This record gives sequence, C-alpha cells and structure tokens, in this order.
Amino acid sequence: MARPNLQLRLTHSPVLRYSLAVTSCAIALGLALLAQRHGFRNVEVQLFLFAIAVTVWYAGIGPAILAVVLSGLAEAYFFSEPTYSFYITRNDLPHFALFILFALLLTWFSAVRRRVEQQLMQSRDELQREVIKRTQQASLLNLTHDTIFVRDLSDVISYWNRGAEELYGWRAEEAIGKPCQQLLQTDFPVPVEEIRAELLHTGRWEGELRKIKADGSRVVVASRWSLAQDDQGRAIAILETNNDITERKRREQDIQDLNRELARRSRELESINKELEAFAYSVSHDLRAPLRHMAGYTELLQKKASSVVDEKGNHYLAMILDSSKRMGNLIDDLLAFSRIGRAETRKTLFNLAQLVKDALTEVRQDTEGRDISWKIGALPEFYGDRSMLRLVLVNLISNAIKFTRTRPRAEIEIGCCNGSGDDLVVFVKDNGVGFDMKYVDKLFGVFQRLHQSDEFEGTGIGLATVQRVIHRHGGKVWAEGVVGNGATFYFSAPRAQGQLWRA
Amino acid sequence: MESMKKLGRILMVEDDPKDVELTLMALEDYNLANEVIVTRDGEQALDYLHCRGEYATRSGGHPAVMLLDLKLPKVDGLEVLRQIKSDGLLRTIPVVVLTSSKEEKDMVASYTLGVNAYVVKPVDFHEFVNAIKELGVFWAVINEPPPGSVKR
Repeated sequence: MARPNLQLRLTHSPVLRYSLAVTSCAIALGLALLAQRHGFRNVEVQLFLFAIAVTVWYAGIGPAILAVVLSGLAEAYFFSEPTYSFYITRNDLPHFALFILFALLLTWFSAVRRRVEQQLMQSRDELQREVIKRTQQASLLNLTHDTIFVRDLSDVISYWNRGAEELYGWRAEEAIGKPCQQLLQTDFPVPVEEIRAELLHTGRWEGELRKIKADGSRVVVASRWSLAQDDQGRAIAILETNNDITERKRREQDIQDLNRELARRSRELESINKELEAFAYSVSHDLRAPLRHMAGYTELLQKKASSVVDEKGNHYLAMILDSSKRMGNLIDDLLAFSRIGRAETRKTLFNLAQLVKDALTEVRQDTEGRDISWKIGALPEFYGDRSMLRLVLVNLISNAIKFTRTRPRAEIEIGCCNGSGDDLVVFVKDNGVGFDMKYVDKLFGVFQRLHQSDEFEGTGIGLATVQRVIHRHGGKVWAEGVVGNGATFYFSAPRAQGQLWRA
Repeated sequence: MESMKKLGRILMVEDDPKDVELTLMALEDYNLANEVIVTRDGEQALDYLHCRGEYATRSGGHPAVMLLDLKLPKVDGLEVLRQIKSDGLLRTIPVVVLTSSKEEKDMVASYTLGVNAYVVKPVDFHEFVNAIKELGVFWAVINEPPPGSVKR
C-alpha cells in the first residue's frame, strides 16, 4: 500500500519531475561524450532514448517532452556535423527527424503503458480491499448461529457458513462445489418451479423445508431465500438461510395431538353427559310412575279396608305410604342434584343479603313454633348463578333449623368473612346438635348421613348439592362442628371482580 | 241436571293402565269418568282426532280437553302435541300435558309448542286425586270449550 503512494508523491512534484528530465538528459549526454572520447561512436541516440524513457516512466509526459527537446538540442550540438553548433546539415536532417519522431513515439507509448499500469495497480488495490472486506463479512457470517449458504443458479454451493456446518454436519470443503439438492435432499412442500418463479419475480421466498443431514437424520427448517443480482440486475446466486425448527414442529405436533385427544375426550364426556341426561330423564319418568301407583293403590286399600284391618295392618299401610313418600322425595332431590351437574351456570352479580332474605322466606314453614334468634351480618355482592346459590342457602339454613330442633332457643348466624386471596367466605353457624369432626369427610357425600333418620329426617343429598354448586362456582365447602355444641358450614367463592370486602 | 248437560268429552292419552285406572277413579267422584275416551299411545290419539283407523266410524266432534302423557309408545307426547298445534282443524283443542316428569326441558318444549297447561303428577295420592279432579272440573265443566267440541 505504501509503495504506490511514494511513487505518486515523487511524480506529483513538478520541480522534481522536470529536474529528472534535465538530470537524465545530462547523464545521458555525459555518458555519450565519455564514450565518444574513448572511441565508441553512435551510442548517443540510444543513451538519449534511454534518458527519455526513464523520464516518461517516472516523471510523466511533460518532462519527457522537455527531455526530447533537450536530447534533440544536445544531439544537434554535440554529435551532428558541424559539432558545437545547433546547425544541422541537410544530410543529417532525416536522421535527426527520425530520432525526434522515435523519441516522441517512445514517450507516447510509455505514457500509455504507465497509465495502464497505474490503473491496473489501482484495480489491484481495490480488489485487495474488496477481498479483505468480503473475508471480514464471511467471518462475520460464520459468527452467527444461523445456517447460511449460497448456491449459484445451477444449484452448486459456493458458500457454506459455520452454522451450516453445525446444522447439516457437512464441512465447507465438502459442501462447496456440490449440487445442493444432492447434498441435502430437500423435500419441497410445493413444486420447486413455483419457488423459483416466485424468487425470480420478488427476489425472495420463505417456507418450511425438510432436509437430510450428513448423518442421515431429518431436519425441518424455516428457510428464507434471497436472490443475489449483479449490477445489471441479472440473477447470479441464491442465498439461503435456514433455522432449525424440528423441535418446534415436534412440539406443535404434540400440541395438535393433545388437542385432538382433548377433543376426543370432550366428545366422550359429552356423550356420557347425554347418557346421564337420558338416564335422569327416564328416572324422572319411569321411577316415579310405579311409586305413584304404589301410593295410590295403598291409599285406596287403606280407605276400603281400614275397618276390617287391625291396628297393626293399618300401621303397615301407613309405613308403605310413608316410604313411598320418602322415595318420592329422594328421587326429586336426586334429580335436582343431577340437574345441577348438567345445567349451565348463568352467572350474574347479585346481592347476597337479598338472597338470604329469599331463602329465609322459603324455609319459613320449618320455623313455625320455634324460638330462633337470627343474627345476619353484612353480606357482599356475589357473582354467580342466583338460583343455584339460593339452593345452597336454603339447604344450609334449613339444615341449621333442623339440627337446632332440640334446642329451646336456637341461634343461627349467617355472615361473611375474608378468605385468602380473592375468595370471599360465607358461613352459616348454629348452636344445634353439631357433629363429630371424625366424620367431617362424609358430610358432603351423596346419601351420606350422620344422624339416624327417625332423629332427623333427610335424604342425604342437601350438602352434596351445596358442594356441587360451590364447586361449579370455583369455590370450596367445609365445616366445623362439635358434638352437642353446634356446627358451622362455610363456602368460599371467587370475589366479584374489583370488589373488596371487609368483614 | 243443567250442569251435566255442559260436560265436555275428555280424551286421555296414557299408556300405563294403572295411571288410567287411578285417573278414572279420581274423575269418578265428580261423575266425570263416563265421557272419558282412553287412547293408549300417540298414534291412537291422532287416529281418534282425525276419525281414522279404529275410530273411522266414531261420531264427530273434538274433545273438550285432551290429557296427554309425554312418554308414549310409537308417537310420543311432544310429537302428538306438535301435530295438533300445527293442524288448522285441531289446534283449538285445549291440551293439558299430564306427566310424571319434572324435566324443565319437557316443560319448555311443551309451552313452545303451545300447550294449554302442564301438570306434573304428584306422587302423593291425595294430591294426585285433587289435581285430576280440579283439572277435570276446570276443563270439562268450567271452561267454555272451542266451537265444535262434543257436549253431553
């Protein structure tokens, strides 16, 4: 790089350039005179031409013309007869003219050659710079983890970065020069002609391709193609970058499989639900009918035969009637319970205090003749299915009424306390017969009862219904009790959004 | 008796013979049982209404009320109801669904089809008898049936 710069500086100074012309001519003259003194003749022309050549080479065309003029004058003065005069005889004129012409020609040729050489050197420098730039770029491309390779339009690979080596397992030396299709056995999702057409039209293409690695394993890549063009806009190469998405595709496939499985299960559940619905429907119809008949005929029998049947017989008939009534209640409760599982919840925001009032109205019949002290705390808004929640409250309150029956003065408290996180907790507390915490797990099971039926009547479905409703609201139910010392039933539910409740 | 002359004919559609017996027994107390026509499935009921099949020769006229069970062999109750309410000649007949089922979906379907009343048969016999009696008295005696109904 330094050398051409030095040359340029030398030849760019006019004083030096013209001095070179004068100096080289003077040296040539000196040498020619010396040669003449020693008897060598006719060497001056060659020496002057040499001086001109040196001048034109190192100093350019201006100093060279000066050198031609000086050489011409020196030739005329020292070497043409008559010597030591600028006069040239007629005989020497062609010889002199030829010398001048030849000198000019030499000057011109040398100048042209010099220019060409300079251009060549410039191009060489540019080329060197370009090579360095490209090398740097290529090593940058090697830094990326992306797979990048270039192939020409006949599909032969011309560049192969380290990412490509890592992904496909072929080294650059192995890949470069090979047809890409032969190396990677690409599986195209669409005809390759279509891809080429799009690439030539828009300059790029993107898609998913399946390729084969050096070890024979398959790989799915997200592939991006860009068309490289020369200055005239002619396509010269295709640059392809690949990202390995095999793992992602596998996960996508897994998710799809899971979704299909989920859909299948949900269809299964749906059909089970349908069957359950059909079952409940037929229970509702077919189990009630014979029961009704039993009750009906027993009653008719009672009416007709009460006079002829003894007291025991009448008692039996009364028991049959009582049982059929109880069975009827069981079926009704069971159907209600199953309906809660099947029915869709219609959630709205409503006032829990108002709902408690409604529930109390509904159970008023059970409180007749009882001395009950009600303590109802402040209650928040509730977001849920109003009719289902009413069922919950009716069940809990009527339980409280029922199990305080043995108390001269019943105390029932309904209130709300803060639960953990976003839940609110509602409780119904009584001073009734309570229960043994040992059996707390049985409380909410269907048909589970902790009391004998002649002590406290019931179907054993009420608390199961409560639990089912609350679970459907995303909440929990639990209870605390002491035998002979009352029970508290709690249920929690997600608070209505944005609502803060302080007990 | 003056009121007896106004009694309407009751068409009962019920497949269960015990239900038929108990219902008739309940209606007997008010002397309403005599004009009850019992059909045992949906097809028979429709045959009766259209005077075809085994009822081709019956004397004409519509019943004052039809007591319709939902769970019936061959043509079920809801289908019978649909056919009656979409038939220009039959749609004026008052239809009371009398069923064991408390299913909400049956109730909604019946009312959507234009049923005139929906009664769930109580398990308790007293309640059952009372319900049937009240139905019979209301539809066959108190209610003025549409023109074209058969009167005694």
